[in-house]
Amino acid sequence: MQMAKRRNRAAGNHAWIAYLFLLPWLIGFFGLVLGPMISSLYLSFTQYNLLQPPQWTGWSNYEGLLQDSNFRDAVQVTLTYVFISVPTQLIAALLVALLLNRGLRGLGIYRTVYYIPSLLGGSVAIALLWKNLFGMNGIVNDFLSFFGVEGRGWVTHPDYALYTLIILATWQFGASMVIFLAGLKQIPQELYEAAAVDGAGKFRQLRMISLPLLTPVIFFNLVIELIKTMQSFTSSYIVSEGTGGPINSTLFYTLYLYQRGFSYFEMGYASAMAWLLVLGLGAMTAVLFLTSRYWVHYEDGGKL
Amino acid sequence: MKGVAILKKKWFVHVCVLLLVVVLAACSSSNNGTSENTPNASNSSNQGGTPSESSTTDEQIELRMTWWGGQERHDRTLEVIEMYEAKNPNVKIVAEYSGFDGYFDKLTTQFAAGNAPDIIQYGGNLNDFVARGVVLPLDEYVGGALDLSKHDQSMIDAATMDGKLYGVTLGSNGWGVLVNKTAFEQAGVPLPSPEWTWEEFEQAAIQITENVEGMYGTADFEEDGFGIFLAQRGKVVHENGKLGFNDQDVKDWFQMWDGFRNSGAAVIPEIQAAATQTPEQSLIVKGDVAMQLIASNQYGAYSNATEDQFALYLPPNNSDTGENGASLRPSQFLSGYAETEHPEEVAKFLAFFTNDLDATAVLGNDRGAPVNSEVRENLISNASEIDEVIFSYIQTVSQTSDAPYVPNLPGYNETQALFKRAAEKIAFGEASVEDATNEYWTEVQKVMEKYEQ
Repeated sequence: MQMAKRRNRAAGNHAWIAYLFLLPWLIGFFGLVLGPMISSLYLSFTQYNLLQPPQWTGWSNYEGLLQDSNFRDAVQVTLTYVFISVPTQLIAALLVALLLNRGLRGLGIYRTVYYIPSLLGGSVAIALLWKNLFGMNGIVNDFLSFFGVEGRGWVTHPDYALYTLIILATWQFGASMVIFLAGLKQIPQELYEAAAVDGAGKFRQLRMISLPLLTPVIFFNLVIELIKTMQSFTSSYIVSEGTGGPINSTLFYTLYLYQRGFSYFEMGYASAMAWLLVLGLGAMTAVLFLTSRYWVHYEDGGKL
Repeated sequence: MKGVAILKKKWFVHVCVLLLVVVLAACSSSNNGTSENTPNASNSSNQGGTPSESSTTDEQIELRMTWWGGQERHDRTLEVIEMYEAKNPNVKIVAEYSGFDGYFDKLTTQFAAGNAPDIIQYGGNLNDFVARGVVLPLDEYVGGALDLSKHDQSMIDAATMDGKLYGVTLGSNGWGVLVNKTAFEQAGVPLPSPEWTWEEFEQAAIQITENVEGMYGTADFEEDGFGIFLAQRGKVVHENGKLGFNDQDVKDWFQMWDGFRNSGAAVIPEIQAAATQTPEQSLIVKGDVAMQLIASNQYGAYSNATEDQFALYLPPNNSDTGENGASLRPSQFLSGYAETEHPEEVAKFLAFFTNDLDATAVLGNDRGAPVNSEVRENLISNASEIDEVIFSYIQTVSQTSDAPYVPNLPGYNETQALFKRAAEKIAFGEASVEDATNEYWTEVQKVMEKYEQ
């Protein structure tokens, strides 16, 4: 009895210390995440030009979104971008991870080399580099002209600009790859040995062992990449100089949100867009979780 | 053992708390530091105080100043700041400078957070910010800390809105067509006559496209060119909160450029879409085009960015009206932040920046021809080759055109984006001139309504 009490008190002290150490994170969470989120929810029902006090306007921002052709363009561009670049990125990551998992010498070096784009990819410098590589007089067109192909302005033509950004996103597969690689390493070697004894070829082993056991990792990567890609901003902002052009062809959702808020002084409208993005992302993630029970296999049967 | 363990823990906790307190105190004490200055600063407002007078007080004042520009402007401005600090040892000026991209986005954010710099450079969008009440009215310092007696009246008027003065004009300039003389010579194309028409402009451009490998005649003149086009028809972009043009004007402009693209005079849209505001990366400097519309104060920056020889032409005439539509316009303004703690000091710096002969000699023409007549004469007498081109261009504009200065459309960022998108839809063949014009016309009116409220 007494022992238990004392232990409880000790635990209480520990909790206090734990909160103390959590303080930086808590301050950050309440001050930089939760607070702004709540205020943006309020702002989304107001007209707020950043410089004068917000004015309550009810649902008018949300109604405005329904009639906004730029908003429709932004949603379409972003969904196209997400639905192409997330699968291509994950497939590239998985393929490279499978290659690297074959016990290569100098694995660490390869792993680092492929991971570097993930570290650099979101940066301004890489976006600028991309813009020049794929520009009218860029290296890509020089290379194409070598084969007699006349190049285009890959980032300045509305038919191609988005796909150039998709290539840029796919190129940053390193983070997913490292996670896949870790997942592959966790699969017990005995399973492969047993399969080999039973006469299963490499491809069959991949299909029947590696992929099913990797599904939790695939699921994790899918969710993370979906959320990350939906919020892409930098590449389009730099390549199109903040315009989302030519003709809205690279107008990412977050870029349009930024334009509305900071260039057109409509922070209320931008807040409404931010909340729609949160709801949209939440819905897409929920759908993924719902479908996961049909295709994600946990070793422990998924019980918690 | 147990006691030691607790002591250890307590000791550790105490240290943590102590550290936390120290950190928090450090944060707040720096705030105290700045707010302590406030009452003294506002008390020391002595009307007509000259920089040397204020330097006798040993109270330290810190002002923040922001501007955009290229490296040349940064260097010159920083030098002038040092000159001012040397003359006013009690004033420290913190420079916050960048390129044009994102400049106003950042500024808007700072306004929203209430920590905008004290001294701010604006362009033709000064009206957007005055309308939001963040710009310091300077009237009470005029004649005292801020001597405008030698400034051109038209440029004082340009910074005056609703009867109040909101800044000093940093220079006057005019739109002009930058022509790559070297490209014309190499292609064996005769240089056009200085009094040319749009038809002659098109012919010259076609010849460049045909004769120079990989170069097109002209870049698109975009929305700035449209303003000139309107002035040639005796119209203005807007006046008293109303649009001064109609959809037919827009259509004619887009139609004309569609013709230029079809005849090979104008650059293809894929290259036009890569155009930037930065002289060093502009289409004409990169050799993509031989002609481009620029503001005359930028002539030096463009010329210095390449080996090619440039010339500055008036915009092509409208052959019906014979007008070139060019007008003298304020290049930029330097203004104070409405919430600044040292309005008088801001006014003094603005005066120094536009009136001091040494400072303006360093600044030169980079922000347009100086608006202070004494400064201008001083600069003309020491003018370099490039300065002479700019001054004579300004002279020609004032002699050949009486088009009025019209500030940007309200909601500049938004209306400019609309215009650009319409132009691109036509250029890339995604919409007819008719459809793109109609879409622009509807949208631009919506924006005007929004800013009327």
